[in-house]
Amino acid sequence: MQKTNPLPALGGFAVICLLIAAPFGLPVFAMTLLTELIILGLFAMSLDLMVGYANLVSFGHAAAYGLGAYASGYMLLNSAMPLPVVVLLAALLTGSVAIGVGWVCTLATGVSFSMLTLAFAQLLYAIAFKWTSVTGGSDGLAGIPRRAGPFSITIFTSKTGFYYFALACLIGAYLLCRALVRSPFGLVLRGIRENEAKTLVLGYNTRLYKITVIAIAYALGGLAGALYAPFAGFANTELLFWLLSGQALIMVIVGGQGTLIGPILGAAFFMLLEHQLSSYTEAWALFFGLIFIAFVLFAPEGIWGLARRAFRRGRAPAEAHHG
Amino acid sequence: MATKSRFSRRWLMAGAGATLASPYIWTSAQAQAAGTIKVGMPLALTGPLGSVGQQQKRGAEFYTKLQNAKGGWLGKKIELLIEDTAGNPAACVRKAQEMVERQDCRLFTGITLSSEALAIVPKLGEWNAIFISSDNGDGRLTAESFVPNFFRANTSGPMGTRAISLYLKDAPYKSFYALGLDYAWGHNSVQVFENELKRLGKDFVGKVFAPTGTKDYSTYVTKIRQSGADGVYLVLAGDDNNAFLAQAAQYQLAAKMAMLSEQLELTAMRAVGDACLGIIASARYAFTIDNPKNREFVELWKQEHGGQVPDQFEGEQWQCQRVFEAGIAKAGGIEADKLRPALEDLTIDDIKGQVQMRKCDHQGVQQGFIFKAAKREGFSHPVPEIIATLAAARTTPPCNKMTYDD
Amino acid sequence: MSTLALLLTQGVNALSQAALLFFLGVGLTLIFGIMRIVNFAHGTLYMLGAFIGYSLVRLTGSFWLALLLAPLAVGLIGTAFELGILRRLYRRDAHAFLMVTFGLALVTGEAVRLIWGSDALQVPPPPLLSGVVFLMDEPFPLYRLFLVGFGLVVAVAIWQLLERTRLGLLIRATSQNAEMVHALGVDVKLVRSGVFGIGCGLAALGGVLAAPLVTASHGMAATAVIDAFVIVIIGGMGSFLGSLIGALLVAFVQVFGNYYLPDFALAFMYLVMLLVLVVRPGGLLGKEA
Repeated sequence: MQKTNPLPALGGFAVICLLIAAPFGLPVFAMTLLTELIILGLFAMSLDLMVGYANLVSFGHAAAYGLGAYASGYMLLNSAMPLPVVVLLAALLTGSVAIGVGWVCTLATGVSFSMLTLAFAQLLYAIAFKWTSVTGGSDGLAGIPRRAGPFSITIFTSKTGFYYFALACLIGAYLLCRALVRSPFGLVLRGIRENEAKTLVLGYNTRLYKITVIAIAYALGGLAGALYAPFAGFANTELLFWLLSGQALIMVIVGGQGTLIGPILGAAFFMLLEHQLSSYTEAWALFFGLIFIAFVLFAPEGIWGLARRAFRRGRAPAEAHHG
Repeated sequence: MATKSRFSRRWLMAGAGATLASPYIWTSAQAQAAGTIKVGMPLALTGPLGSVGQQQKRGAEFYTKLQNAKGGWLGKKIELLIEDTAGNPAACVRKAQEMVERQDCRLFTGITLSSEALAIVPKLGEWNAIFISSDNGDGRLTAESFVPNFFRANTSGPMGTRAISLYLKDAPYKSFYALGLDYAWGHNSVQVFENELKRLGKDFVGKVFAPTGTKDYSTYVTKIRQSGADGVYLVLAGDDNNAFLAQAAQYQLAAKMAMLSEQLELTAMRAVGDACLGIIASARYAFTIDNPKNREFVELWKQEHGGQVPDQFEGEQWQCQRVFEAGIAKAGGIEADKLRPALEDLTIDDIKGQVQMRKCDHQGVQQGFIFKAAKREGFSHPVPEIIATLAAARTTPPCNKMTYDD
Repeated sequence: MSTLALLLTQGVNALSQAALLFFLGVGLTLIFGIMRIVNFAHGTLYMLGAFIGYSLVRLTGSFWLALLLAPLAVGLIGTAFELGILRRLYRRDAHAFLMVTFGLALVTGEAVRLIWGSDALQVPPPPLLSGVVFLMDEPFPLYRLFLVGFGLVVAVAIWQLLERTRLGLLIRATSQNAEMVHALGVDVKLVRSGVFGIGCGLAALGGVLAAPLVTASHGMAATAVIDAFVIVIIGGMGSFLGSLIGALLVAFVQVFGNYYLPDFALAFMYLVMLLVLVVRPGGLLGKEA
C-alpha cells in the first residue's frame, strides 16, 4: 500500500498561493491574460469531464460556452441583477438546456454522438444568428457591464476583483469535478468509458449517468462562458462556432485528457502559444499545426503527463516503478 | 521506449514550459519608445477575410513609409503595430488590450470585421484611445453603437446603397429584386435600398438573404430570375460575392437583367474575370477616380508595388491615415482629449476629394462614386470605370442615422 | 417562369448540388469508413486540390489535365503523410487521429496561403463546358450538367471497384475486420495507405471540380469539412451508397428549402442530420452505432 504522497497537495497549495498573489506582482496586461486563461481553463476542464472520464467526445462544447455567455450578457444588459447571481444563473440555464441536448445525443454512441452534439451547437449558432432582438444577431451583444455584487459590494467591477471571482469559480469547479470523479458516480463513469456494455449488464442505467455528466459538463462550460461575457464585454456568434469546439478538444488532448488539471494547462498553452506565435509571424498557423503533430507523436499523455513523468523521474526509482 | 522519443519529449516539455512562463508576457511593457507614435492595427491577415486585412496593411505601410520619410507626425516616426487576429473578435480584443496595456498605444485603425469593431468600440473610453475606421461599414457604428472616441473615415454601407439609389433615379430600370448576405450589413443595406426605391417610386419586388459560406447559389439565381425584375441589387462580399458572380454568369443572368452591387473590389474582379462585366456598383475607392491627388497616389503606388494598382481598401486606408495626420497636426498631440475635438469638423482634400469629419456622429462626409465593370487596355480583368459621381451632402445620411429622409 | 419550368430547374439545381456534395464527401467516406479516422484535414485537402488545379490550368491551359493531375498530386501527399505519421498511431485511440489531422489542416492551410497568397483565384471551366443548355426556355449551365454526369460515372466506378474487384473486397474486409484480413496474409498496412491516398485524392478532385463555381479560395476549407462530415454521418459510416443518398437528401432539402423558407437556410443540413440520427443512430445505411 502506497503512502499518501503529500507533495502533489503541497504543490497545488503553492500554485493557488501564487495565483492569489498574482495581482500584486504582475503587470496589467499579464493580469488580463491570466484572467482569460482561467476562464478558458475552466471551459477546457468542463469538457474533460465528458471526454476524459466518460469517453463522450463532444464536437459541440462551444454551445455551452456561447449559451452561458449570451445568457449572462443578456441578463447584465437588461436587468439589475448583480454579477455573481447572473453568472450562476447562466450556468444553471446552460446545464438545464444540456439535459435535453444530452437526452437526444445519447440516443447514439461513438461518432454519431459527437455529430449530434455538433448539430445542436450549429442549430444554436443559427438561432443566435437569426434571433436578432435577443442576441443582437451577427453583431452580438456589446458593452456588457460588470455589475456590482449584492449589498453594493463593488469588488467585481474592478479587474482584480473580477479575477478573484473567476479564480474562485475555477477552484470551486475543480473541487466539484474532483469529488465527482472520485465518488461512486465517477466509478460508474469510468466503467462506461472502459466498457459500456458490461456496465449496462451490471444493472446501471448508463444513459442516465451519461446525461447527468453531460449536464454538469455543459453547466460548467456555461459558467466559463458566463464569466467571459462580462470579462470581454461582448458575446457574439463566434463563441458558438464549431471552431471553438474543435479547439476545446485540442486543449483537452494536448493538456492530457482524464486529468482535470491537464486541460487547464492545455488551454493556457493553446492560448498563449497562439497569442505569441501570431505576434511573431503571419505564418503562425503553420508552426501551431506542427507543434500539435509533435505532441501527438512524442507526448501522447499531454502536458500534464509530461509534467508528472518529469516529476516522477526526480523521485526514488523504486517509487517511480509503481507509477 | 526509445531514447529518441524521450529526447523529443524533453524538448516538448521545455517548449510548453517556456511558452507558459514566457518572460515576454509576464514582464512589464516596454515604455513608449522615445520618439515614435504607435498606431495599433489588430487585423485579419489570415482566414477568409485575410485579403481585406492584407489590403489594409499594405495601405497603412505605404502611407507610413512615405510619411516617415517626411518626418512622421509631429516630428516623431510612426510605428505600426500590426498583428493577426484571423478574424476572431476574441483575439482582436485581446490584442488591442495588449497594445493598450503593454505598449501604451492609444490610436487604432484597420480593424477588419464589423463584429470585431463592435467588440472594441465600447472599450475605447476605458482605454482612452481613438479609433478611426478605414473599412467598417456597419451603419450602427455612427448610430446606436456610437461612442465619442470612434470616427469613421470610410464610406459606410448605407452610403454605398444610397449612391446606387441616387444613380438609379434617372436609369431606365423600374423594378428590382435584392440579394444580401444574411447578417447585419446585408440586412441593413437591403433595407436602405428598399426605402430609397419607394421614395423614387420604383418597384421593390422582393428580397432574399443567403448565409455566409453558401457554396451553391443555384437556388438564389433561380429565385432572382423568377422574380421578373428589371434589375437585381447585390449586397455580398468576399468569397460569397465571388461564388455568386461566377455562378450567376454561368446562368447568363446578366443577359436577363441589370446587375447592381453595393461594392465590388479589384480582388473580386480578378477572381471572377469576365463574369462581372457590366455590373454597376458603388465604389468606396477606385483607382480610376479622376483627380490630381488620386492620379499621383496611383502612380506612386504602382512604382512601389510592381505595377499593381491600388484596390478599394488600400485607398480607404490611405485616406484614413490622412485623416489621422490632419487631426494630429491640428491637435498638436495624440491624447484622446486633444485629438477628439481636433478631429471633429476636420476637412481634408485627398484621393477621394473632400472629406469632412462631421462633429455630430464622426462620419466622414464624402462623395459617392458609381462605376461600371468594363474592360480596359493593359488589364487582364475588368476594371471599375467611373460613370457617375454624387455629391457628399446627398450620399451621407443625417446625423446618427442609418436611413435617409429625403 | 412557369411552375413546371421552375420545378425542373430546381430539380436539376438539386442534382448538381448533390454532385458537388458527393464529390466533397466521397473521399471522407472511404477514409472514415475504412480507417475510422476523423480526418480533420479533409477540407484543406479539398482546398489544396482547387489551388493546385488553378496552377495547373495556368501552366498547361487545360482544365482536363488539372482534373487528372491535381488529385494525383494530393493523393501522393496524403499517402506520404500516412506513411510518415499516421502509421504510428493505429494502436492509439481516436483522439490521436483527431489532433494530428487538425495539425495537418493548420499546416496545409497556411502553406496554401504562403504559396498562393491571400486572394481568391479564378479557375475557369473548360471552353467546352462554358455554355448553357435550355430547359424549357430557361438557361442551365453545361458545367453543372457535366458535374451530374461525371458524378454518376465516378460513383458507379467506385461502386464497381468496391463490389467487383479484389481490391474492393480487401478494402471492405479491412473495414470490417482488419485482424482477420491480416491473418489471411494480406498487408493491411498497404491497404490502409492506399485507401488514405485515394481518399485524399478524391477530396482534391472535389476541390478542382468546385473551383469553377466558387473560385479557389481560403474560405473553402472550413465549410467543406463540416459539410463532408454531415453527409457521411447521414449516409452512415462506412457505407458508400449511404453517402450518395446522404448527398442527394441534403441537396434536395437545401435547394427546395432555401427557395421556400430561406430563413432556415443555415439550419437545414443540421436538422436533416438530427432527424436521421434520432431515427437511425447509425445513419441511413450504416450499421447500428
